[in-house]
Amino acid sequence: MNLDELKKLKDKAQRQVALREGNKKYRVVFSMGTSGIAAGAREVMTTMLDELDKRGIDDVEVAVTGEIGLVDAEPVIRVEEATGEKVTYAKVTADGARKIVAEHLEKGKVVKGLAVGKVKEAEKKK
Amino acid sequence: MFDELSLNILDIAMNSLAAGARKIQVAVIESVKHNWLILRIRDDGRGMDGSTLKRVLARNFTTKSSRNKPIGLGLALLRQSSEMCGGTFDIRSVQGRGTSITASMRLSHVDRPPLGDLNATILALCASNEAVDVQLHCRSDEGTFHFSSQEGRHHEPRRTQETQRQGATTSRAA
Repeated sequence: MNLDELKKLKDKAQRQVALREGNKKYRVVFSMGTSGIAAGAREVMTTMLDELDKRGIDDVEVAVTGEIGLVDAEPVIRVEEATGEKVTYAKVTADGARKIVAEHLEKGKVVKGLAVGKVKEAEKKK
Repeated sequence: MFDELSLNILDIAMNSLAAGARKIQVAVIESVKHNWLILRIRDDGRGMDGSTLKRVLARNFTTKSSRNKPIGLGLALLRQSSEMCGGTFDIRSVQGRGTSITASMRLSHVDRPPLGDLNATILALCASNEAVDVQLHCRSDEGTFHFSSQEGRHHEPRRTQETQRQGATTSRAA
């Protein structure tokens, strides 16, 4: 890593902090335990931060949690709405993360192909 | 096993966050001349008592008691990497004061994983909890630099006394 990269890192980190202030519509929780990290959670997180930044979305809070017991399904992220609604996404790739930003966090539409739990229950009822 | 040592760093620093650390210091010391790569992660979290510290390196150690899946490999993975690459692994902890983990390995060892994207690791840590001061300190044969998420300070890389003495014969970091 050189000085230029460090400067970029600093700017990025500060933008992230600025993003997290104020009222939030969504909270995105990344499973960042050993299995999550091994499955690529770090890249999913940095991709999502980039995408949020690119689209100028500033009402999303980012948080992490440890192992959640869904080892086979990692990387797992959970999108929590201010209303209390929670959607869990499993086996999220960098592309998936971009999709979640574009569909769910920007337009409020759950990405069905990636979501587990809640959506499945809702589909069963139909 | 992780493909990159920077993922090990992220994994261990996540434990620091879970331990309520307000400051996490990551140091990466790389010397081609001395053929060492040393990683240190130090936090001011709640630390561990003696009996926990003894058990902590056991495979499958986890603070989550209700799990039945084999998780809790993080520290064991880094220790395995260091010992496999001719280095040592050390963990010290004082209850209420924090934990310090140091892993060394031979830089040129054929099995040594690459350091990988340290940038992404620090960025992920900063984004995980903005209140925590994430510090990165890098030192190589060519100089040192320092980053702190709270102060946002960084210094021009400067030559260390040792490299100045060695002058032009100093080997370049890879």
